[in-house]
Amino acid sequence: MRLPARSPAVVLVLASALAAGCGAAAPSARPPAAEAPPGGAPFLATSLATAAGTWAVAVMGGTAAAHNNFWQLFLRPAGSTQWKLATPPGAADNGGLVVAGAGGQSLITGFRPSQYLTYTPLVTTRNGGQAWAPAGPLDAAVANVPDALAVAPGSGQLLALLSGGTAKLAAAPGYTRWSRLTTQPAIAATAPGRRCGLRALTAATFTPSGTPLLGGTCARPGTVGVFADRNGTWQAAGPRLPAVLARQPVAVVRLASAANQTAALLRVGDGGAARLLAAWSADNGSHWALSAPLPLGSTRLSSVSFGAAGEAAVTLGGNRAQAIAGPGAAWRPLPALPPGTATLALGPAGTIDALAVHRSLLTVWQLSPGASGWHASQTMDVPIQYGSSG
Amino acid sequence: MPGMNSGVNLSNPVVVAAFKAALLHQGLIVLLILLVFGLAWIGARAWLRRGAGGGTGKQASGSPAPVLAEPAWRRLLRIGFGLLWLFDGILQAQPKMAVGLPSQVIEPTAASSPAWVQHLVNWAATTWSYHPIQAGAAAVWIQIGIGVWLLAAARGTGSTLAGVASVGWGLVVWVFGESFGGIFAPGLTWLFGAPGAVLFYCVAGALIALPERLWYSPRLGRLVTAGTGLSLVGMAVLQAWPGRGFWQGGQHGTAGTLTSMAQTMAATPQPHFLSAWVGSFASFTATYGFWVNLFVVAALTVIGAAFLTGRPRLIRPALIAFAVISLAAWVFIQDLGFLGGLGTDPNSMIPYLLLAAAGYLALVDVSPAEAAAGVTAEPAGWRDRFQPASLRRSVAGASYRTVASVCAVGIIILGAAPMAVAQANPVADTILAQAINGKSATLDTPAPAFSLTDQHGRTVSLADLHGKVVLLTFLDDTCSTDCPLIAQEFRVAGQLLGADIQHVELVAINYNPLYTQLSYIRAFDSQEGLTRVRHWLYLTGSTPQLQHLWSAYGLVPAQLLPAGAMLAHGDYAFVIDQSGQLRRELAFDPGPGTQATKSSFAAELTDAARQLLGQS
Repeated sequence: MRLPARSPAVVLVLASALAAGCGAAAPSARPPAAEAPPGGAPFLATSLATAAGTWAVAVMGGTAAAHNNFWQLFLRPAGSTQWKLATPPGAADNGGLVVAGAGGQSLITGFRPSQYLTYTPLVTTRNGGQAWAPAGPLDAAVANVPDALAVAPGSGQLLALLSGGTAKLAAAPGYTRWSRLTTQPAIAATAPGRRCGLRALTAATFTPSGTPLLGGTCARPGTVGVFADRNGTWQAAGPRLPAVLARQPVAVVRLASAANQTAALLRVGDGGAARLLAAWSADNGSHWALSAPLPLGSTRLSSVSFGAAGEAAVTLGGNRAQAIAGPGAAWRPLPALPPGTATLALGPAGTIDALAVHRSLLTVWQLSPGASGWHASQTMDVPIQYGSSG
Repeated sequence: MPGMNSGVNLSNPVVVAAFKAALLHQGLIVLLILLVFGLAWIGARAWLRRGAGGGTGKQASGSPAPVLAEPAWRRLLRIGFGLLWLFDGILQAQPKMAVGLPSQVIEPTAASSPAWVQHLVNWAATTWSYHPIQAGAAAVWIQIGIGVWLLAAARGTGSTLAGVASVGWGLVVWVFGESFGGIFAPGLTWLFGAPGAVLFYCVAGALIALPERLWYSPRLGRLVTAGTGLSLVGMAVLQAWPGRGFWQGGQHGTAGTLTSMAQTMAATPQPHFLSAWVGSFASFTATYGFWVNLFVVAALTVIGAAFLTGRPRLIRPALIAFAVISLAAWVFIQDLGFLGGLGTDPNSMIPYLLLAAAGYLALVDVSPAEAAAGVTAEPAGWRDRFQPASLRRSVAGASYRTVASVCAVGIIILGAAPMAVAQANPVADTILAQAINGKSATLDTPAPAFSLTDQHGRTVSLADLHGKVVLLTFLDDTCSTDCPLIAQEFRVAGQLLGADIQHVELVAINYNPLYTQLSYIRAFDSQEGLTRVRHWLYLTGSTPQLQHLWSAYGLVPAQLLPAGAMLAHGDYAFVIDQSGQLRRELAFDPGPGTQATKSSFAAELTDAARQLLGQS
């Protein structure tokens, strides 16, 4: 029969398998490493500004299978308006790319492991993506968040947030010897961690003076989970929220440092009451300037980008986007995004680029200051190698 | 369910050819068995009769005991189920069976059952996946053997044992092949084959195995008809149960359970006219789903109730009605059950019907005199049967049925023995590896020398490994697909070699031109659990050193691809003998990387190493 199928079967299987005993070891099945970003959204898509120019990360390729999604790194060199492909070669990046500026022309990139790979290859460039040299690796999967890697100004120390909630440190230049900085349970057990009711770590950065900062999600309403490692002790370093938001749960969405300040993006509240707050600190988290809350409702936050001076732009569901220029400024809505926009890149003189992807085609749309709409400024056919990771 | 699927294509020519060859060879042995037993029987009978003064066995043993005719119900079951087993055995010989049965038949059947059923089924199906040729052939011969045995042995101990064999094998199939006939799955219905076709084979086998003194008992007929009635009423209740999708045809664009089933069956490869019939029924059910189900519920209830009365004049028309709707369901819903290249039997309707008819016959076909007389002659005890004189009489008086029964047992053993032997080896057959990559190439050239750095930072050269068999591969340390699978095959090969690993070195050379650092070699080793594998070396060097070696071994050069792609490279394994000669090259694309194929590749490596060790 075909339906409730009947097999002939398995023979003496019973008897003989029992007789054969448990002698030999059949290799154990190992599930491939997790690949999907949280909620299925390409949240790793982002851009950041360094002295080399603006770097942007976006996922391209197929949508049917994760192994046909390839993450790409693009660079718009300083002084140029044109983007170029800068994805480092040598390892499959289906699991995602995480980048961190390393000062000057340097950038460090981590390949989030996918399929059977379980550790994180690292690669650095010192010349704006023209050549890449391996570093590390990191012996576990780097967290699936855009701020999972951070480089300390000056020392070049690399801070990595792992997917299990551990933060590790390694010294420049090779990043081959890693030491554990802390873990989510360890911070949760400290006094500020208990006050926060720390559930998860979601972002890592160094302040401009080189203090490690970790951000997370707090169980206790109204508490912002930002922690600073000051002389070996983890201390609360997050902003105080206005009283009107004091009963809302808070999650640190992003933490990034640039120039002389640290920027944070906070999601306050749940569901339809969710709001987005930007925060800036110029003194290692002792004092913060907060933006006005941006109502999110139930809209999905799909990408956050930071500019060189702490300005931020976010893309939301429904082709919506908002940008904020920095402390004291207000959120301003951007014109409806071009279809397929993966992330925004903040440019000089107030221009904003929208990087829109469709399979292997990248289209860059530009928004000039004061303009009411986007105009296409560049297209690029990315040579995606479909099937190469299948 | 891990393990069930070997990942090899169902129609893989290597496996299909091996399966056909195994069946052909075993078929020739079957013919030989028939010939030998036939000639032995003829010769022994002639010789023994001459020794007994030309008299017949019967004459020598005195006046024969009166023998009752086999009752009609038993003959129906024996011949009916004997033919079914034969037919099932032939279906098992379909080319796709060897690879396809676990993944395409057993796994989908078990998918809707609870986890504990799936685990149980997976355990057995994995065994099948590891040894597809032996398992496939075993199923063929065991089922043909049981069929022949049932047909040949009309009475006596042989017939009883044939019934017992039917029960035993039937239970194996019911549990592991049919996942308990789906009785623990939510979609249980008589229309789709519940409670599992082979459960009827088991019941029939049990009835056939009953001692002769019960053959004519009127209670037997009443019990079987009552059991049939009860099961039909139970099926009617299930069919009527709300919320199972049977009352809806195809409303709101969603096909009901029955419509969906018929649509699925219509899509099975089969003759066009049959597909058209089943498709038409699917359309009919989509429109009149409620009324179709109402009819089925009513019919099962009425027929079941008639059987429960135990009154022949009610059961006879009920049996006819049951035959009509069973045949209709068999054609229009079950689609005959055995088409499509992976059908293992004609599903449940025919065996159910046979059992119901046998119950009716047992009820009406009882001769009071025979029933009162019971068994006419007391059978001899076991001790008496093995007396030389008794044995002589048995052989001399053996009928062709007895010889056919002995042959049937031989056929069953023929199928079962290789499978049992295969089970003693828990590693998958190398045919799976060969099915993916073909057979290895034989070489006899000096292996290109190397001097590289191992995972511990020590310099290792090929010359250092002189005197050992070297199993060599090339692994990209950041590869996320094939290389980890190949590494696992080497790890398992190390385990399979056991004490022989002392004379073997498992060696991998880095196949990545960018990530050449020791830290990556070590990360890969750690990821693959290779850090504690004895005699494992993962070697790396400078990019030019590595590129030179890839070229020397004739490898496709590793290519850095753009846009986030993994490095492009080939999958290879080499066998180097104790004197440094390249002896074999194995195409080593690990294919689907299932448990079965991994084990299969490891077995291939192990065999290659042992072959060289045996020659030294």
